[in-house]
Amino acid sequence: MKVISADHAVAHGARLARVEVVPAFPITPQTLIVELIAEFINDGELDADFLPVESEHSAMSAAIGACAGGARAFTATSSQGLALMHEMLYAAPQNRLPVVMVNVNRSLGAASGIWVEYNDSMPERESGWLQVYIEDNQEALDMVIQAYRVAEDREVMLPMMVCLDGFVLSHTVERVDFPDQHLVDSFLPKFKPLYLLDPDEPVTMNPITPPEYAMEMRFQLHRAVDGSKEVIEKVDREYGALTGRTYGGLVDTYQMEDAEIALITLGTVTSTARVVVDHLRSEGKKVGLIKLRFMRPFPSDELESIAENLKALGVFDRSVSFNGFGPVFTETRNALYHLGTPLTNHIAGLGGRDVTFKEVREMFTVIEEHAKGHRVKECHWHGLRGDS
Amino acid sequence: MYEIRFHGRGGQGAVMAAQALAEAAVLEGYYAQAFPYFGAERRGAPVRAFARIDESKISIKSQVYEPDVLVILDESILEIDPISEGLKPGGKAIINTVKRPEEVDLGIEVECGTVDATTIALETIKAPIVNTSILGAFARVVDIVPLESILNAIMNRFGEKLGHQSGVMNAEAARIAYQKTVVGRSKGTRKVVGKKMWLPTWNEIPIGNTLSPGEIDGIVVGPGSMTQNLTGTWRTQTPRYSKEKCIRCLRCWFSCPEGCIERLEDDYERWDYRYCKGCGICAEVCPADAIEMVRGVYEW
Repeated sequence: MKVISADHAVAHGARLARVEVVPAFPITPQTLIVELIAEFINDGELDADFLPVESEHSAMSAAIGACAGGARAFTATSSQGLALMHEMLYAAPQNRLPVVMVNVNRSLGAASGIWVEYNDSMPERESGWLQVYIEDNQEALDMVIQAYRVAEDREVMLPMMVCLDGFVLSHTVERVDFPDQHLVDSFLPKFKPLYLLDPDEPVTMNPITPPEYAMEMRFQLHRAVDGSKEVIEKVDREYGALTGRTYGGLVDTYQMEDAEIALITLGTVTSTARVVVDHLRSEGKKVGLIKLRFMRPFPSDELESIAENLKALGVFDRSVSFNGFGPVFTETRNALYHLGTPLTNHIAGLGGRDVTFKEVREMFTVIEEHAKGHRVKECHWHGLRGDS
Repeated sequence: MYEIRFHGRGGQGAVMAAQALAEAAVLEGYYAQAFPYFGAERRGAPVRAFARIDESKISIKSQVYEPDVLVILDESILEIDPISEGLKPGGKAIINTVKRPEEVDLGIEVECGTVDATTIALETIKAPIVNTSILGAFARVVDIVPLESILNAIMNRFGEKLGHQSGVMNAEAARIAYQKTVVGRSKGTRKVVGKKMWLPTWNEIPIGNTLSPGEIDGIVVGPGSMTQNLTGTWRTQTPRYSKEKCIRCLRCWFSCPEGCIERLEDDYERWDYRYCKGCGICAEVCPADAIEMVRGVYEW
């Protein structure tokens, strides 16, 4: 047990997962991760190569190359760094190279800032990377370990992005329990790539793919991302059996058994929303919380069964598609189209704006009104000065 | 609507030919379009180009599968691709060859124009770029666009891109080809079989976007694939080496971009004609005139 930041929890997760190659470029608020990993390597606590590359584009390229060479590769970035990786991100999924990367969410400028917003990672859900969003420091450590187990599963073989809120999580210290190394070792066998880059048995990786093949390969990837759902659930259960900690797999719920209205959250706002739900429950209101963990694969069927009996549902978003909605709302509305559940979108916390108890309470007020059949706006910006 | 499919090799100008034909049609008051389809660009690789000509605006944007006219810039592609696949029974073909129409086996008996466009191009524009010559032959066989408009289109496109003099020379090549084209009927004895391509379903493709050594029909990828892809058939000229004149300076050996000149123990050379594309660099750099470029595909 230690009282550490989520960034340091991530570094310990990587150490326990025995990562072998770490190409990285420091960027606030991810820096603490790679600094601590470099220390581990320097102090002989982790047997890995740290590559201080000249850019994030190179970091991702090197991670992909290391993975193709049979090494367990780890990297971490944020915001502008992730944007610079964009081109290389796409090489990992189709080549089925299970790199694990932590993205410490930070708003992508302009407006330039170092604070949390999901507009860096949300656009990358088109890339074929699996994406999980983290609520607290313990989950950060546990998910780095789980991420490798999911990503390297023969049925999956896809890269995974572990996303955690900049500063709100990355620089917040909390109690974090460490699983024993031997438990992690039994949970996480040595990485075996599908193909190995080996001069003695040469293969061609990532060849030019004419139209006769590309579409089938896209569909293959499409099915692979979908097929990872089962593995994610299974791995979470197994991890729970080993450590006593599970996270609900794709989507977790809180106070949903008899809930009439609910809010979908992801990231650290989930924690604040738990307190709001407790508060409303004490007032006798039948409210619940849906913690969305994965954006890819998106748990459409799971959400449909959870939301089946709801009178209204709100969706929190920490990024927005301008002139449209938040991405979580858009995906949720797609998933629940057949249910016809009354939905509202609640955008808050952009550019790192603090999301307070009061604002989450306001979200529930709107959802309550909606459930009563009152006409409400579809999209609400909470904490905004001026009408939204 | 009139649909034309061009078959050539990278560097022969099939794409420019399709574009110039489309422009000629537009000059005649038609609507027209032209577009290419090729893989990773490289000279000598099979290239297709398409053109459509119609009296009203053309909407369709897909490739041409049942052409009215085939234009074949390189005879050797007949041996590797089912070129005449989809050619309409009443269709026409224009082919760059020294043969007469009745000696050409397209696998379908159609009206066919033959012309030795390579010789015309070499003599007129001093390069084996046959696109403009073949357009002259096109005007002779197909009466939709008269020679005059083809010549104007060539002047416009080639003159703009490569200078007035080049336009004049290319138009001249087309004019000569128009006169020299022999019109007759092709043979239809060859069996046109669709290319045997590996077309797996999505779950038959090995996952991982990685190919083991070996050949996959149609793309020939993977290390060692050059053993299947004998690029020597692409050449129009073959270097002929004279050991007697050779002074063993090795300049040809240094300069061959394909590495198909072998340096023997005594510093004399040997050519690997399976991969020689006949670029002529070896002959150009030879200070002793020991290498002569000869028209045609030979192995000495």
